[in-house]
Amino acid sequence: MDQDFAHHLSEVAVSVELETPDMTLNIGPQHPSTHGVLRLIAKIAGERAFDVKPVIGYMHRGYEKLSEVRTYPQITALINRIDWVSGYANEIPFIVAAEKLMEIEVPERAQYIRLILTEMARISSHLIFMASYPLELGAATPLFFALRERERVLDLLESVTGGRFHPNFNRIGGVKPAVGSGSTTRKQIQDLPAGFFTQTKDAMGKVLDVCEELETLVAGNEIFLARTKGIGLLPPEVAAAYGVSGPNIRASGVKFDIRKVESYLPYDQFDWEVPVGENGDCWDRWWVRLTEIRQSASIIQQAVDGIPSGPLQAKVPKVIKVPEGQTYVRAENPKGEMGYYLVSDGGSGPYRLKIRTASFSNISILPWILEGILIPDIIAVMGSLDFVLGDVDR
Amino acid sequence: MAKGNDSRTLLGMGMVKGLAVTITTMFKTIFLPKKHLATVNYPKVKETPVPRARGVIALDQDACTVCMLCARQCPDWCIYIEGHKEEQPPSKPGGRIKVRATLDRFDIDYALCMYCGICVEVCPFDALFWTPEYEYSETQMGEMLHDMDRLQDWMKTVPEVPALEP
Repeated sequence: MDQDFAHHLSEVAVSVELETPDMTLNIGPQHPSTHGVLRLIAKIAGERAFDVKPVIGYMHRGYEKLSEVRTYPQITALINRIDWVSGYANEIPFIVAAEKLMEIEVPERAQYIRLILTEMARISSHLIFMASYPLELGAATPLFFALRERERVLDLLESVTGGRFHPNFNRIGGVKPAVGSGSTTRKQIQDLPAGFFTQTKDAMGKVLDVCEELETLVAGNEIFLARTKGIGLLPPEVAAAYGVSGPNIRASGVKFDIRKVESYLPYDQFDWEVPVGENGDCWDRWWVRLTEIRQSASIIQQAVDGIPSGPLQAKVPKVIKVPEGQTYVRAENPKGEMGYYLVSDGGSGPYRLKIRTASFSNISILPWILEGILIPDIIAVMGSLDFVLGDVDR
Repeated sequence: MAKGNDSRTLLGMGMVKGLAVTITTMFKTIFLPKKHLATVNYPKVKETPVPRARGVIALDQDACTVCMLCARQCPDWCIYIEGHKEEQPPSKPGGRIKVRATLDRFDIDYALCMYCGICVEVCPFDALFWTPEYEYSETQMGEMLHDMDRLQDWMKTVPEVPALEP
């Protein structure tokens, strides 16, 4: 810099230091990116947020306590509502836990139906993420593409179970065998309806197509990349220490998928991979979920090809009483690890049911991950963690 | 390996590619036949729900024996049943007088109902059925309590049993 220019600079330079007091900013409870009602109390210094405190409990419905005064078939209807974006996947660990205590062997066809419908729930949940996450960053178009195919998947779920969001289709010992216990309703067997296999294959082809479209729409978009790459970095050791699970920890590079570890459903019979991210930023979390949709579609296609015929229900007593004991069964929910710790005293309902939900552990990372982050990035990071507040508060 | 920002491409190409998808879809929506559309113009065009859809619960009054199983098993107790015993004349002279339970009241509060279907599942006499009917919204919460005549009307909409996959 030459001397003349420096002389001008010194004339315009402001010598007074501006002191800005820290401001407390409430984000939520009613913010669209919180997928429910989550309140964040953040200290704002300039453009950055510090000491972020999540306030949860606005959607507490007391399911753990409620389960103690309900029978097992009634609880199945309740736990659909924990994570309403993937209602079907919530039922599986609870039913498997009860079956484990009752020592029931589930018929293979029922297991395959469970697997197909769980993967459909996973696809629909991830498609919601594919729809809402770009929307939170300001891109409205992917929403329509993702929701269009999600509707197709939900139609298939409805054609089998009768419900789009709350299927209530699993029974202890298998899947729902018939629509009722009367003489004519007993004839209405709740097996897969005719044409389900061709429709499923067709829909899975469409889902793979929409993954391509979403990738073209979003993955190359410079604005989206600028908003997500390198934002909200989550190192694997921090993620593991906070108990983060599901796509969020896989995006950090940890190859942890309960579908590969546990054997609650016959996942080992299919050829599929666990997608893993590199850096653990928002972009990786988006990419891992997109790849999981593709993997799930491939699992469904293989399961439809290999589904055996046979009964839908094992032999179970008419009034279900689970013998005394306790067990913990976990499963890979679309949001992460979901587990039920079931304690039974031999009655027709559980003595105690502890529900471990994925979103609760996933948002416990918020104070760490939002430390010193720019205010617009709060929304980007929160959206990328993909939590549902019903799953957090339950 | 995560794909993504390739520094070799021109800045802005990603957005152009994305716009191309949007524009292609727009032209598809305009020029393709209507059956390819993802949406329907609802009040004018109606979609038929699948036969198993849990739309509303229909009641067959003649089949009901007021056994109260459904009301007891309901997780949120939204079924209200009242009944009385009625003596019927014997079918042939000199026979026994039959006592039959008759319904006085069978109300389902659809504002409370969570459509789990437990009542339909436990009914041993084929009195309750699911139907895919969905157009029964009301402007007041209290009007969601539907009585047994309304439930009987919905029996007309109970669909045929669909075929099964082998």
